[in-house]
Amino acid sequence: MSDFLKRLGRERLYWDGGTGSLLQAKGLKGGELPERWNLTHPEDVLSVALGYFAAGSDIVNSNTFGANRLHYPDPNELKAIVEAGVGHVVEARRRCHREKDCYVALDIGPTGRLLKPMGDLDFEEAVSLFGEVARWGEAAGADLVLIETMNDSLEMKAAVLAAKENTCLPVCATCVFDEKGKLLTGGTPESLAAMLEGLRVDAIGVNCGLGPVQLNPIVKRLLAATSLPVIVNPNAGLPRMEDGRTVYDLSAEDFSAAMAEIAAMGAHVLGGCCGTTPEYIRRTVEKTRSLPFTPPVVKHRSVVCSFSQVVEIGEKPVIIGERINPTGKKKLQQALRENDLDAVVALGLSQEEQGADVLDVNVGLPGLDEAATMAALVPKLQGVLALPLQIDSSDVQALEMGLRLYNGKPLINSVNGKRESLDAVLPLAAKYGGVLVALPLDEGGIPATAEGRVAVAKKILTEAAKYGIRKEDIAVDGLAMTISADAGSARVTLETLRRLRDELGLHTVLGVSNISFGLPQREVINANFFAMAMESGLSLAIVNPGSAGMMAAYRSWLALSGRDPQCAGFIAAYGQQEGSLFAGGPAARKPAAQASGGTLSDSIRFGMAERAAQQARELLAGGADPMALINDTLIPALDAVGRGFEAGTLFLPQLLMSADAAKAAFSAVKEVLSGANQAVKGTVILATVKGDIHDIGKNIVKVLLENYGYRVIDLGKDVAPEAVCEAALKDGVRLVGLSALMTTTVPSMEATIRLLRQRCPDTKVVVGGAVLTQAYAEEIGADHYAREAMDAVRYADEVFGVG
Amino acid sequence: MLEADRREVYRYLGLRGREPDAGTAQTVEEAVAALQEAVEPKQVSRRFPLKRDGDGGLDIEGLRVQSAALSRNLSGCDEVYLMAATLGLGPDRLIARAQAVGAMHLALALQAASAAMIEAWCDEVNDGLRREAAGRGKVLRPRFSPGYGDFPLDAQTGLFRLLGVQKTIGVTLTDSLLMLPTKSVTAVIGIGDEAIPCPTKCAACNRTDCAFRDERRDTP
Repeated sequence: MSDFLKRLGRERLYWDGGTGSLLQAKGLKGGELPERWNLTHPEDVLSVALGYFAAGSDIVNSNTFGANRLHYPDPNELKAIVEAGVGHVVEARRRCHREKDCYVALDIGPTGRLLKPMGDLDFEEAVSLFGEVARWGEAAGADLVLIETMNDSLEMKAAVLAAKENTCLPVCATCVFDEKGKLLTGGTPESLAAMLEGLRVDAIGVNCGLGPVQLNPIVKRLLAATSLPVIVNPNAGLPRMEDGRTVYDLSAEDFSAAMAEIAAMGAHVLGGCCGTTPEYIRRTVEKTRSLPFTPPVVKHRSVVCSFSQVVEIGEKPVIIGERINPTGKKKLQQALRENDLDAVVALGLSQEEQGADVLDVNVGLPGLDEAATMAALVPKLQGVLALPLQIDSSDVQALEMGLRLYNGKPLINSVNGKRESLDAVLPLAAKYGGVLVALPLDEGGIPATAEGRVAVAKKILTEAAKYGIRKEDIAVDGLAMTISADAGSARVTLETLRRLRDELGLHTVLGVSNISFGLPQREVINANFFAMAMESGLSLAIVNPGSAGMMAAYRSWLALSGRDPQCAGFIAAYGQQEGSLFAGGPAARKPAAQASGGTLSDSIRFGMAERAAQQARELLAGGADPMALINDTLIPALDAVGRGFEAGTLFLPQLLMSADAAKAAFSAVKEVLSGANQAVKGTVILATVKGDIHDIGKNIVKVLLENYGYRVIDLGKDVAPEAVCEAALKDGVRLVGLSALMTTTVPSMEATIRLLRQRCPDTKVVVGGAVLTQAYAEEIGADHYAREAMDAVRYADEVFGVG
Repeated sequence: MLEADRREVYRYLGLRGREPDAGTAQTVEEAVAALQEAVEPKQVSRRFPLKRDGDGGLDIEGLRVQSAALSRNLSGCDEVYLMAATLGLGPDRLIARAQAVGAMHLALALQAASAAMIEAWCDEVNDGLRREAAGRGKVLRPRFSPGYGDFPLDAQTGLFRLLGVQKTIGVTLTDSLLMLPTKSVTAVIGIGDEAIPCPTKCAACNRTDCAFRDERRDTP
């Protein structure tokens, strides 16, 4: 163990304070890159470190906050800057004769870019650029890595992995919170604590953003949430402008008084950030040195989280939505094979609305590249929904891919007692963190008794402990197996749950509906078994939250077991429900608002999707011919809306609502049509060009094209010219639509057209976007300029000779 | 709470001054309500001396800009405010979510309403700076953003560094110098001794055939 780690959390340590304002006082310009001073002004940089060692800092940062290849593209210069940055602090420490009890921290700040899915920086690119800096820093003599001023938990994760994969150094991690206690990307003290403990950093904390007064309640939350030492490096108060300069509102005296309160609350490492100087640190040391020190306390909490939401296991049963799993689901299988991830995301969003706390994500399908699909789907899901995920795969590579890219601390499904599984999965759980689902089966098969299952669970616990995985980060599956094959199986499962809880103090999980395979009316058995399982201590239930029966069992059990004060949750869910829950089977939801007259054409014209679908179904039930319904009603109605839009009597939002209604009616018709009858007019590729991240326009065109009978290959946004060409060549696509919103990205549109001309000379190109004009489109060599979305549809009809 | 000027929202939606239908109006209200829950307005701004080099270029504390349009806008000023403002990632998430469930009309309304709201937020920040300047007997020029006219987007890198934009309000730049969160604005605001008429927004743009052109602003 490093000397630093022996002291961290056992005694109060002091970090350094701000650097920028000290260097500016020595002549650094506001717009200058400060890290370059490591090479050009070595003595100035060194003197800052000297000042902090003299003031009482035990840990001083290298001047390498922004030293990464995005800011310094020349690798030789960058390496020299990092080495010199660390070297100056090492030298300062030598001059103070403090080699024995002071530490040099390699300082790593954010890239300044936002990671995918919200931004454009690739996760592995971030890991790589942090990694090289970490390697150089360790070689130059750093004792630890400080990753600081992060306001995106995913970027923090990339930096932590980079430090751990490239060095043996201790890693400390501090984030910027705002007054509401949130990171820019939504993280909270609790979610950051969960994720970073999972990643096994050595200390976590807060820095920058606010002063010690505003940070006080945030530090309190962090101390309550984490078992790790807590670092507090605030600014010198809040900034204000004074004569064109930024000044902070706390004097060194006021700052140190506020820091003393934070020390008394139990923070373990104290320092400063923007606006603080050695004087601030010196007074903080003076005021806090003799205060009693409380080492961190292990909290034994079982939590999973996303980038913003924390789910605590154990308070009440956690609902894990099971729908993102292709087993036995034809539509989802097709969507996965066609890489239609939007359909998968829609499944996630609907489960969130139905009350899921966590979503299971399983993409296991024969012939599918499971790891690649997982790598694409996890970020895609996290781009639009904030529920924690359960990464679920029997393919170790897919499991690792999901864990690596996941923003937060996930559930991991699963490990079992077989040697092969233990050796493959436990290291992943140890590296990435998560609550691990353990199946109590091994080389001997599934134990038939609760006794046997508890024994395997014990074995898994012991093995996991070797990797430092605590029992609160394990949930054991009770293994529900159908009672149609073995009448005693439910009893064994329930007994297993009770014994795991009572004898081992473990959390438990079940795939509840497995209990009823082969039986009629499965929902009835499932719901009753679910209630019994909850009464036997079930912590996590993998169920379909869209099942009225399951959710009724869940809400009833909460109310009956006293976990729903005043039955508020129950009443909120069912208070408005008319008639019996059981009267109409699964469709016993509130009846849809009664259609108040009007034809199917009217519903499309006025954009009423639900009503359009209902009317289409009624017409079909009344004997209408599906093809006639499409050709004589739906298409003319949609066309009328399109013409109205082109004539300026209807607006884009109306056109889109009508398109939505037509789509709902189309899918009602398609339910009764066999696949062969669904004619496709042609295939069109759509992409927002490289460098551009605006995709609403492109997506509007997509919706309309699909409505008018085209198959659309949507390549997304920020798409390289090569990717467009490859897709066009692969499927022999005759029409490509390109979108660009910014003047600055039109050259990239031009480059795409040029490459298409070379490699796919027969493919036509239609372009659109706010900055384009007819003349501009001609200039960059497009075949057609679509001023509005409908223009693109009309042009497609022209190219494919239809319409 | 930030408001969204409905006239502006409808203009962004392409209504060109006409009355919205009931469905559009309802979608817009839904979008505004959702956005008001989701936005996290933040800003950073600071005053800098403005210098001019020999060949007509501008120099703001080492940030060098060659732009005829900006030079015109800043004529007679020897100081500027730089400002950066954002609504945070909330609008981006809402828009992504609406698109993921295929609710394109809602995505479009969210896009238009959040565009109006970031303008409103910038106006609020701008007003604060105007009052501060007035206290020193100065008046402000209309704010001018990288990307307007011939003011190059390249200036974003330097402007971000001068204001510490990423560190203070969490806005980042993409490889192609676009801002994320997308509902973010940076601007230069000239500080002068007297007001001079200068064209702003739509009136400063020569794209007279733009579908979103605001005719009201053609005559300042």
